[in-house]
Amino acid sequence: MAENALLKAEAVSAGYGGRMIVEDVSLSVAPGEVLCLLGHNGAGKSTLLRAFFGLLPGRTGHVAVADRSLDGLTPRGVLLTGLAYVPQERSVFPKLTVRENLRMGGYALDDAALLARRVEQALDVFPRLRERIGQLAGTLSGGEQRMLEVARTLLLDPRVVMLDEPSIGLAPRLAEQVFSTIRDLAAQGRGILLVEQSVKRALAVSDRAVVMEMGRIVLEDSAAALASDDRVAKLYMGAAGKAFDQPPR
Amino acid sequence: MLAFAEQAVNGLMMGSIYVFVALGMMLIYGVMHVLNFAHGALFMLGGYVAQTIFMRVFDNYLLAVAGAVLFLILIGALLERGVFAPLRGNLRNQVIASLGLVLVIQNTVVAVFGPNALQFPVQATRATVQLGPLSFAVQHLLIIAVGAACVAALFAFLHLTKLGTALRAVSQNPRGALVVGIDVEATHKLAFALSMALAAIGGALLGPLFLVFPQMGDLPLVKGLAGIVLGGMGSIPGAVLGGLAIGVIEATSTLVLPTDWKDVVVFCTIVVVLLLRPQGLFGLRTRDDHG
Repeated sequence: MAENALLKAEAVSAGYGGRMIVEDVSLSVAPGEVLCLLGHNGAGKSTLLRAFFGLLPGRTGHVAVADRSLDGLTPRGVLLTGLAYVPQERSVFPKLTVRENLRMGGYALDDAALLARRVEQALDVFPRLRERIGQLAGTLSGGEQRMLEVARTLLLDPRVVMLDEPSIGLAPRLAEQVFSTIRDLAAQGRGILLVEQSVKRALAVSDRAVVMEMGRIVLEDSAAALASDDRVAKLYMGAAGKAFDQPPR
Repeated sequence: MLAFAEQAVNGLMMGSIYVFVALGMMLIYGVMHVLNFAHGALFMLGGYVAQTIFMRVFDNYLLAVAGAVLFLILIGALLERGVFAPLRGNLRNQVIASLGLVLVIQNTVVAVFGPNALQFPVQATRATVQLGPLSFAVQHLLIIAVGAACVAALFAFLHLTKLGTALRAVSQNPRGALVVGIDVEATHKLAFALSMALAAIGGALLGPLFLVFPQMGDLPLVKGLAGIVLGGMGSIPGAVLGGLAIGVIEATSTLVLPTDWKDVVVFCTIVVVLLLRPQGLFGLRTRDDHG
């Protein structure tokens, strides 16, 4: 764990209606680093991201971005502190145009001139979206909608971006584009927290990974080391049940 | 032809009233997905508040309308916080609560103002405007003009302002709205306030023509809903054109059929349209779509 971590979570527990799904999770993401969260369905990966983003009341523990605490903040406050989130389900507004969607990405910004400038910058990064600027977002392809979601997060110039299964439902070529975009974001010095079902792809794009099981982190290592770990191989083969007999905690 | 033109203007006038009701219901439906059946009763309450201010306080129609708008926005805020917000997540109970509110509001009005119709003698109902060979009460033209202005203002707000775009964003994808930091609860309150303002204006405009009485909102509610269904559930342009169409159809039908038949004509038209286009004139045929 780097001292200069951009995203730092300590002893985070969270769940729905008093039932804890995620327990005692600590992790950190350094600038320019892609950290991948691995684990079976139901391991608590998506819940953890939602908890970081302030969507789950009753979350305990501490989360900070660049040493500024996110504890108790609403999603708007979390965004303004520098943490952006692309959820697994579609989050574009289907009957708003691409431009309106981008503007909504900067909803938390009060400075209209800055917002207009950031929209142009995001369009420079995603020329495909510029071609479709006046189109309704619902008419874009699945890959383009994903791009729009990622582009939209850039409007607030986040320090850390969390993406929940960004490649889901995309053709392999489009998934590659999404992953290369994620590497580009990291290259700009942003921290990336990635949840991805496809373990092989995820480890290829990540620097480091943690494995979650039953709401806890059971393993943490560099992506390269985990790629050759038997237990992860088992997970990646899609073996049912617990891949780890004894959690290290 | 003259008779037709006269009835068309009358129809546009009543249609504008239906548009006030339809738009108000559509705003709340859009973000909360609740059909607020108390809307007709709130429309009626707007008429009473405007009448009371006009008769007992200011004797100024504009101030009376403004007062009704403010009062209803306040009532709407109380209802949103006290009735609808606690039932968030349970659509069925919210709809049932809105039906209960009809009884509460109507009976409260009867208890306070009595069951009889009240006069609302605004100058504009007596003054007439000569349009070629036809003459219309100023109030008729006022209703059409104010209706058009409100529709234009609402469109501009929804499409040209950040807050209005956010309102549309919430109606299309509430989870997506959370992700970009829109305060979804606040948009519910905003939609309620706009809806209440439209109800108050509608009631305050219709009152001077047809008197103010406890059931004055019932027919506009039914016809406004019919306009929504005709135009297509969830579509704002549909609600506008649907409401106007209902008004014009019922008014012009009286030229060829006895007046008693106008409701039959209206609802038969809707049945035929829905047989041909189940999604309404402007609705899109989609699943799980509330844009």
